[in-house]
Amino acid sequence: MEISMRGWRLSPIGCRYFSTSQTGSARFGGERKVEKEFRKDAATILEEEKNGVFRVLDIGKPVSSSMRKETPRRQSLARCAPPRHSTMKPDQDWGNVWPAARTFHPAVVPLPVRQGVTQIKKQVIPSKYANTELLKIPNFLHLTPPAVAKHCSALKKYCTQWPAGLDTEEDVDRHFPVQVITSDYLNSSSSVRDRRSRVVTLRFKLSSLDLDHHARDKIIRLLGDRYDEVEDLVSLTTDRCPYRGQNLDYSKYLITALYFESWKTEPWENKDHLDRESYEVPEAEINALQQALKKVLNSGEDEQTLREYKEAARKHLSLPAQDINPICV
Amino acid sequence: MFRMLISPLNQIRTCSSVASAVNTKVPVPDKLFKKIDIELRAHEPAVLKSYSWFMNASAKELDVNVEKSYAPEEPHKERKTLLRSAHVHKKHRVQYEYRTYYHFITLKHLTGSTADTYLEYVQRNLPEGVSMKVIKTEIQKHLPHLKPPPTSQ
Repeated sequence: MEISMRGWRLSPIGCRYFSTSQTGSARFGGERKVEKEFRKDAATILEEEKNGVFRVLDIGKPVSSSMRKETPRRQSLARCAPPRHSTMKPDQDWGNVWPAARTFHPAVVPLPVRQGVTQIKKQVIPSKYANTELLKIPNFLHLTPPAVAKHCSALKKYCTQWPAGLDTEEDVDRHFPVQVITSDYLNSSSSVRDRRSRVVTLRFKLSSLDLDHHARDKIIRLLGDRYDEVEDLVSLTTDRCPYRGQNLDYSKYLITALYFESWKTEPWENKDHLDRESYEVPEAEINALQQALKKVLNSGEDEQTLREYKEAARKHLSLPAQDINPICV
Repeated sequence: MFRMLISPLNQIRTCSSVASAVNTKVPVPDKLFKKIDIELRAHEPAVLKSYSWFMNASAKELDVNVEKSYAPEEPHKERKTLLRSAHVHKKHRVQYEYRTYYHFITLKHLTGSTADTYLEYVQRNLPEGVSMKVIKTEIQKHLPHLKPPPTSQ
């Protein structure tokens, strides 16, 4: 049937449609030839408008096959510009092409990268075009060795030299005995704060402080677990305040308080003979026997100390030297 | 910055010599760091490897002394065993695993300016999916007032 369904819309009768056994041209006696009206293309419309033909609405008209060939659906890819990397020279400055961190762009990166996993081994690994895995992973194309060198040469002027006289650890400990340990945390959250960065630790050797015998004894008792006897190291950790600056100030106050408290002598601190850690004899009463006894009690019982004590006691009590005579029977 | 306070009643203008006297900066001595420990954590080992290469390379360029730079071979794995089905089927479970890869870098003998420059450069280029923890050991002198009190002597 020549009459198509679309034709009935143009019928002046409206929505009524009737079918005939004869074709349109035969119905009207073969005089009028119904030409299929196709949609006009843009160039024809503009040309006709210039010539005075009024622009008519052409909704519903079919598209001619020649116009359908021109639609840029499958031909757009062929007519696209070539990828940018095809015009790149090998000696170009890559830092100008990729200056900062950027999502991977397959047309800009000249490398023949392939990424992916296939379930069938015979299949090829997917190429870089339309590869979401390459887009997801962070790339370091902006941090190539020449780019890093360039950045660092620009930053070099903000760096300072380490002082010449502080090469060894002993020099460092001698001139700067206090170590202040703080920590910083980098988060990917919307906030730069991290509560753990408020913690401050102060570390120093007790020998670096000016203390007399009593003060040293007292400060060690006050420090308790915070003092390491083996390494002579004091570690004071402060986390009681919400900010690092506050904790730093508190630790400075703590050291000051400890130091000056250790120099004070309370009336109840005077030790009796039994409270003292080591055996002490007043200067007037000292003699050889007391000296030997002092060595035994303070340094510990040893073959040598006991022998010396024995000799000193023998001499003090005016006993003869021990003669070991085998018993002869 | 010296700000001018212009009242509507009487327009007070300060002369430039006053402004320059206010702008003088007191020089702050450079801090000294005995050691700076950097701990990097990531879920992707390749990204962590690239980033640690970048950190070592930039340290070399800026004359920063890298004492140690190492990564444990095995990551830390946290495993979870959950029920596979929403209802019943206790015998059938599904297991998930989180892998955290580490890299530790220790820098030695840095001044405050060098440390700030290096750390800012390196932290600005920290990629997505990598976290950093910086532990700084600053060296200082004792407080000047820690001297034996006069009454005891």
